[in-house]
Amino acid sequence: MIEIRFHGRGGQGAVVASELLAQAAFLDGKHPQSFPFFGVERRGAPVTAFCRLDDRAVRLRTSITRPDIVVVLEPGLLRAGGVMDGLPPGGLLLVNSRDDPARLPAPPEVRRASVDATAIAVAHGLGTPMLPIVNTAVLGALAAASGAVRLDALERAIDRFVPARPAQNRAAARDGFGAVRLAPAEVAVRAPPVRAGRTLRAGLELPDGPLAVVSSATIATSAWRTMRPEIDLGRCTRCNFCWKFCPDDAIELNAEGYPVVRLEHCKGCGICAVECPPGTIAMVAEG
Amino acid sequence: MARLTIPPQELVHPGHAACPGCGAALAMRLLLKGLGSRTVVSVPACCWTVIATPYPTTALGVALLDNPIESTGASISGIRAAVDALGLPDVTVVGFAGDGGTADIGLQALSGMLERRTNAIYVMYDNEAYMNTGIQRSGATPEGAWTTTTPVIGVGRGKPERKKDIMAIVLAHRPVYAATLNPSFPEDFVRKVETARGIPGPRFFHIFAPCPPGWRFTSEATIEIGRLATDTGVFPLYEVEDGRLRITRRLSSLKPVEEYLSRQGRYGHLTGAERERIQAQVREGWERLRREESVGPPPGPVRPGVAATSGPEPATVDSG
Repeated sequence: MIEIRFHGRGGQGAVVASELLAQAAFLDGKHPQSFPFFGVERRGAPVTAFCRLDDRAVRLRTSITRPDIVVVLEPGLLRAGGVMDGLPPGGLLLVNSRDDPARLPAPPEVRRASVDATAIAVAHGLGTPMLPIVNTAVLGALAAASGAVRLDALERAIDRFVPARPAQNRAAARDGFGAVRLAPAEVAVRAPPVRAGRTLRAGLELPDGPLAVVSSATIATSAWRTMRPEIDLGRCTRCNFCWKFCPDDAIELNAEGYPVVRLEHCKGCGICAVECPPGTIAMVAEG
Repeated sequence: MARLTIPPQELVHPGHAACPGCGAALAMRLLLKGLGSRTVVSVPACCWTVIATPYPTTALGVALLDNPIESTGASISGIRAAVDALGLPDVTVVGFAGDGGTADIGLQALSGMLERRTNAIYVMYDNEAYMNTGIQRSGATPEGAWTTTTPVIGVGRGKPERKKDIMAIVLAHRPVYAATLNPSFPEDFVRKVETARGIPGPRFFHIFAPCPPGWRFTSEATIEIGRLATDTGVFPLYEVEDGRLRITRRLSSLKPVEEYLSRQGRYGHLTGAERERIQAQVREGWERLRREESVGPPPGPVRPGVAATSGPEPATVDSG
């Protein structure tokens, strides 16, 4: 399976690019899947779309977090961060850019490709010079740089599914196919390793682990509170009521059994102060 | 140092997104203390979806699956089947749903899961309204309570209807174990969880979950209000195992319901007559519970091989 993630801005055609690639792959006999990131839909806002291509049915239904290929329709997005997340050594980065691919800001073990899709789109009258629609030129470049789809399948898909200016879009795809420039990874890498997804049965791939694997403990909730608990340990009887009733797991007991408030997580609810039998906990105003 | 009266293991991580003083957050923390790490939790749309999973984080130290709001019961039947197919009989499967997702929207899936005799625990944590979406009344909202959809304005006097009796609905399906749990009583809470964990078959917990923003009280009062709910008879603590009902917090006399109502802004508009009606209903419910305890279980075994016996066990707890 090849997993491709598209990054663009609203209005550039990133979602349509992903769908067109899937249609072309289908015409090529593959089992494709394409869907956009579910989020804010606003012109100019960063847009993400996902495309999976395989020789058998794709059962995964999740966002692509470890793409084999990242396609960037707008070079400014490279600065935004997150675009290259999960791209492995030997993975391919394709950017709509006038720059030499060797100068693209990417980790040294990533293969890079660039194509001036903006110029191609403008030359073929696609979109406006302010907001050229670069997706078909980029897809042509992708076909050349990755071999993920054949150019003739891409042209057939454009004919069938692009409502406006199919001839110009086909020409843009062909131009992109011819104009793409490639730079190898700067450090030698082996072929991308076969994904170690747990295969329970043929055709059913599962992610390696839970989709959310970061502990919420990495999130500080201290800014929620206006009061903080202060414990008079001299009068503490170590009854651990404060620990027992804390909804936020923000009180731990030290080796001697005394409570220690995790101030980075305490939300200042005040339950511990109310429940402390000898009344040794005071809520004190922050700041 | 005082001995710990509940397990030290923490399977709810700090940093979660629950409101300060959240009863439902404490409920999950105590639940997983009793169940341990070999647990899979299925959570539908409810406060806990938001509490646990601001992407890419999770607040649980066990596997957590999100499911649609109406399907918790079906979801845990499926997870149980998957876990059994994988040969993991020691895994406890839990559905953890709110009162709206249980008593209203998920009722058929709950009924189906109980009827199929799914070997899993269904939890309804009851904050008595759709809190996650902004305090809309649910079937589990008590009579007289203010919510945003039962406003106190014009002729509006809060919710006109009585609270659904979810335990009665569940008990009509003859689960192997069902109990009411209240995080204000952590030892009783965890003991019930540990008891249920050891009984295969369909099990149900009705967990009381005070909600400071939704019930209009300040966050430090969560435990006190929970305690008052039980000690006034509003939320009695009991368990039903193989059809035998046992009150687990036995009270020689109930505190006046007024002590519970007066702590919450959602009841602030109630007149004396309305408060007396609630008091009468609470007393009636408590008496009914005591009668059911003394009558004993219905005839016939709930579980194959478990004979139904009659008569309650001797009382073990007393409190004034």
